[in-house]
Amino acid sequence: MAVIALKHVQKSFGAVNIIGDVNLEVADGEFVIFVGPSGSGKSTLLRLVAGLEDCTGGQVFIDGVDVTNMGPAERELSMVFQSYALYPTKTVRQNMSFGLEVARLPKAEITRRVNDAATVLKLEDYMDRKPKALSGGQRQRVAIGRAIVREPVAFLFDEPLSNLDAALRVEMRIEIAKLHQRLKATMIYVTHDQVEAMTLADKIVVLDKGEIQQVGSPMELYEHPANLFVAQFIGSPKMNVLPATPSGDGLAVTSTKGRIPLAAPPADVVQVGMRPEEIALVSEAEGNIVGTIDVVERLGSDTFAYVTVDNVGILTVRIVGNVADMAVGQRVGLKFSPDRLHLFGADGKTIRR
Amino acid sequence: MSIVGKSTASAGFVRTRWLLTGVLGLYFIYTFMPLVYVITASTKTNPDLFTSFGLWFSEDFHLWQNLYDLFTIQKGIFSQWLWNTFYYALVSGLGSAVFATLAGYAFAKYDFIGKNFLFALVLGAVMIPQTALVIPLFLLLSKFGLLNTPWAVILPSLVFPPGVFLMRAYIDEAISNEIIDAGRVDGAGELHIFSSLAFRLLMPGFTTVFILAFVASWNNYFLPLVVLNSSEHFPVTVGLAQWYASAVSGSGGSLLFTVVMAGALVSILPVIVAFLIMQRFWQGGLQAGGVKA
Repeated sequence: MAVIALKHVQKSFGAVNIIGDVNLEVADGEFVIFVGPSGSGKSTLLRLVAGLEDCTGGQVFIDGVDVTNMGPAERELSMVFQSYALYPTKTVRQNMSFGLEVARLPKAEITRRVNDAATVLKLEDYMDRKPKALSGGQRQRVAIGRAIVREPVAFLFDEPLSNLDAALRVEMRIEIAKLHQRLKATMIYVTHDQVEAMTLADKIVVLDKGEIQQVGSPMELYEHPANLFVAQFIGSPKMNVLPATPSGDGLAVTSTKGRIPLAAPPADVVQVGMRPEEIALVSEAEGNIVGTIDVVERLGSDTFAYVTVDNVGILTVRIVGNVADMAVGQRVGLKFSPDRLHLFGADGKTIRR
Repeated sequence: MSIVGKSTASAGFVRTRWLLTGVLGLYFIYTFMPLVYVITASTKTNPDLFTSFGLWFSEDFHLWQNLYDLFTIQKGIFSQWLWNTFYYALVSGLGSAVFATLAGYAFAKYDFIGKNFLFALVLGAVMIPQTALVIPLFLLLSKFGLLNTPWAVILPSLVFPPGVFLMRAYIDEAISNEIIDAGRVDGAGELHIFSSLAFRLLMPGFTTVFILAFVASWNNYFLPLVVLNSSEHFPVTVGLAQWYASAVSGSGGSLLFTVVMAGALVSILPVIVAFLIMQRFWQGGLQAGGVKA
């Protein structure tokens, strides 16, 4: 098991800077998720940890050893790829044993490890099949099996579930969570799906444009996002944001008629954010601002109302349960709870209160 | 007039189809006629060759006698030529397919300084006709003392720039970088990844290049003509041309056009057989399942 540390890691392809200057420590047995939009550099960062890319600057340490100039295999990590990357001409068994044969392990040991992994991943019945005769979920299991048998110091996952359909994705997500609990191994997992990030991670690293935006537990990121980017990236549906300026004992919503009461608002607020579940639908008179219900989505457990506010855009409101008296085209008031507001300055950073 | 949604029964569609069928029919006749001529001509006697209709058989079926003559004339040297052609084509076909695969793999999967320049050179080489290179090659081979040896034909044929071009494009498509990365994470070296993970996925491309290079070498005439001078090294092309020349000049009276025609027939059969056998390796889709598309 391993502690992985990145110190001032940089990566550029020619003149294009992909990873700015990343410092990060992954503790032993921790499940860390890199999350960010496409092009945020999350996969590149993972490949730098894996040794599949060379760092332009900085160092990578595994258990205190500088592995910056070591190849992928020497780092004793294993990796699960987005496309599974199974060897198409080899059977499931050969796929799983390939790395062990390369490492010249004794035959009996290879058989033992491969059989153990097959049992864990319920692959026993498919050992002699080629990858093309497997379903997507089975292929992904083989890819995970190939990673497990090497008994690596840490596991790296590069968007492993993004090729699966929605139902299978949930199933595999739970399997990966169980795997982590059983192996207690260090895992680094890349995804653009913030639900995966929230549900699996001990620690989330939010990346954008090659820079770490925030590192923290899922709840920390949700409750206390460091900046507007994190605030809007984490959480689904995403956080509502309104332009606002302090005025007296409250915030004035700048582009439309509206006022949010807030004791002693900081002077440098330019935007205010609120989670969909922190907005209450009230009558026009009671609301902080008013709008028109555009679309209502009823999920059974929750109801989402998309409310258009003039000159602001659409705000999302989440109400637990199935609310009957809501109609499209209805004028409603939106009420915000002052202690749940997220305030942002001109630089996009969160203003702490 | 819309392009989409035109029914197969519409007048425009039918007209276009007949037109295209007609064009293809002409092309078929154009490519097939010489073959028919070779087949019919090789079954005739020498006088019949000049008196009967060219594209059909004559009454006197003379094929077996012609074949017998072909393989016995001049102490059966034709067998030697046939073997030479096969040997040159096989070695240069395999060799150039191997080199093209290695080079294509490097171009497709590695980044190195001068990659674009080198690939531009390969592309440029595709456009240079081999005939233009024969004189410099002759001088080079003569410096190395390789003239009039099999190497003089094989070595230049090992370089097959269109194969490199094809293999690069093929490898780009057929092998995902993630499979190579997976091999690296599994601890395999680059050569090991190439030989045990990548190569089998490349078989269709490899086969294609092999056939193209094999046929190019099989049909090669000018290079062996220039670099070889003793007839025991000749391939069929050069040998037959020499026989044809002596048939034209009428020397000795024993060399007849019918023997040349029979030789032409025999020399194309192996290529056809090779095509038929290799066809089944030519199928794609080997990679299906390894990587989700």
